Amino acid sequence: MSNASVATKAGPPPSDIPEPQPLRKRRGVNREGLEAGRRSTRTILWILLAAAMVLYGFPFLYLLFTSFKTPIDTIAVPPTILPREWTLENYTNALGRSGVVASFINSIQTAVISTALSLVLAVPAAYGITRYKTPSGRVFIMAALVTRMVPPVAIGIPLASMMASVGLADTPIALSIAHTTISLPLSIWLMSSFFESVPRDLEEAATVDGCSRLGALWRVVIPVVSGGIAVTAIFAFLASWNEFLFALLMTAIRSQTTPVVIANFQTQFGLDWGSMTALAAVYSIPVILLTLLLQRKIVAGMTLGAVKG
Amino acid sequence: MRISDRRFALYLMTPAALFLAVFVAYPLFRLVADSFFKISPIAGGPRDFVGLQNYVTAFTSEAFTSAGWRTLAYTLVVVTLEFALGLGMALLFTTLGRKSQIWRTVFLYPLMIAPIVAGLLWKFLMIDNFGLIGTLLHQAGILSDPNQIGWLSDPNIVLFSVAIPDIWLTTSFMCLVLFAGLQNIPGDLLEAARLDGARAPALLFRIILPLLRPVIAVALVVRGIDAARAFDTILIQTNGGPQSASETMSLLIYRTMIRFGDPGLASAMGTIYLLAMLAIAFVAVATIWRPGKDN
Repeated sequence: MSNASVATKAGPPPSDIPEPQPLRKRRGVNREGLEAGRRSTRTILWILLAAAMVLYGFPFLYLLFTSFKTPIDTIAVPPTILPREWTLENYTNALGRSGVVASFINSIQTAVISTALSLVLAVPAAYGITRYKTPSGRVFIMAALVTRMVPPVAIGIPLASMMASVGLADTPIALSIAHTTISLPLSIWLMSSFFESVPRDLEEAATVDGCSRLGALWRVVIPVVSGGIAVTAIFAFLASWNEFLFALLMTAIRSQTTPVVIANFQTQFGLDWGSMTALAAVYSIPVILLTLLLQRKIVAGMTLGAVKG
Repeated sequence: MRISDRRFALYLMTPAALFLAVFVAYPLFRLVADSFFKISPIAGGPRDFVGLQNYVTAFTSEAFTSAGWRTLAYTLVVVTLEFALGLGMALLFTTLGRKSQIWRTVFLYPLMIAPIVAGLLWKFLMIDNFGLIGTLLHQAGILSDPNQIGWLSDPNIVLFSVAIPDIWLTTSFMCLVLFAGLQNIPGDLLEAARLDGARAPALLFRIILPLLRPVIAVALVVRGIDAARAFDTILIQTNGGPQSASETMSLLIYRTMIRFGDPGLASAMGTIYLLAMLAIAFVAVATIWRPGKDN
């Protein structure tokens, strides 16, 4: 579901990250595989790409521009793209609302706990599945994938009442457990594909040297897949950070995360578009920047692991 | 004493398996159990066993069957458009080669945005009166009146409009998966086809798409499951309206549970919905995906 937007974005590991190295075979031929050859074709394709990028990037830019308008300008008819007057008023309004800053802290807490929980559970499980290939492992990864099909709306209410019955109602812990039901299957799948790429000789050498299997996993295999763990952590973090439905069903005042607060702006304070766009920008930009920044590190970590392995 | 490899593997998997059993399987069991009861929404209220009554109510209610069709239509629209756009972008990035790498990364940015934010943003773009899209189309001379198209207020098109943020958010994912698949197509094969005089459309339909089949299947299944569960983007844009014209299954279940206070009926709907998704997905997974097996 869209919630779990990223959760939902399961899929093969982000395969664009390790840049596929094109084989430089036919020298002199200025193309590999599908690459376009002619200069005129390439020019047209670049123009197409530019158009696509502008169209694709525009909605978020418009959100940013709007957040710098004055509150009245925000809903002016007809709307303008750029602010007539640049101001931070929407930002001060949004952040000044009671509960907004607290919701940021809740979001961070929930996402961090959920990410840690996902990794602690998924890393050993994925290793068990890929390294030993037992029938139970095969059944388990199938079962984990089936849980990805469960609509959160179906388990949200029972989950909320379970949490209430153990005294965890309206806490970041309860919400992070709920978020882990989304990110755990995804993390197991991602980690499985990373472990798959580690040569088996590596732990065999370690066990011959007197390491236990657990020791080999901890001291030899984990360092090699640290790049993969970072990628998995980002996915788990985003799944929790952007999740809305569980947060709506399971939190009240104390542990409300920012997506719920953003949605509440609509009803609670009338239609305050200016504050909403400002809060949405503040909530989205850190994760966009973080992911783009970390992407380099992840590539470096992976190539290093590959070279050592 | 050294335990066997098989047992060691089992120990490694146990914590995760227990977690999923307690926090996914058990709530599901509760959901199915609740579907046979008439439950008062008030905590501690009466709870009467009614057999299959809730299922009968669900299947005979117009709201439920039309939500089912709407969910199907929504899913098809989202997946088809995402596939077409994602394939187009993946081909574009592939034909442009390594120089477009940075743009490939930038293209991923919507994947990091919360669906609730995306829904809000597109609502802002499409809303009547101060929505930018109507205004721009009007200024470009395409529309005679900025409000000519009621993106979110016309029941005939609203199901399509609410799908736009979902498409915007995850076309990148489709592109990513298809791009990865395109990189695995052997260059020699394409070269040979070119030497035989194959032109671009023939290359695409005779060679590229058939070779991409497994990747396409995975991408469609994953996105299909997600689109069928869409909730946040629709809730924030229209809350299912106008006149329930954008009320998909997730929204109907949510409203039955929370607004109409009928957890028993909502559970029956949830159970049917889940079984339908499992049936469709299982057929797809069993035929094409086969995780955990050696390639």
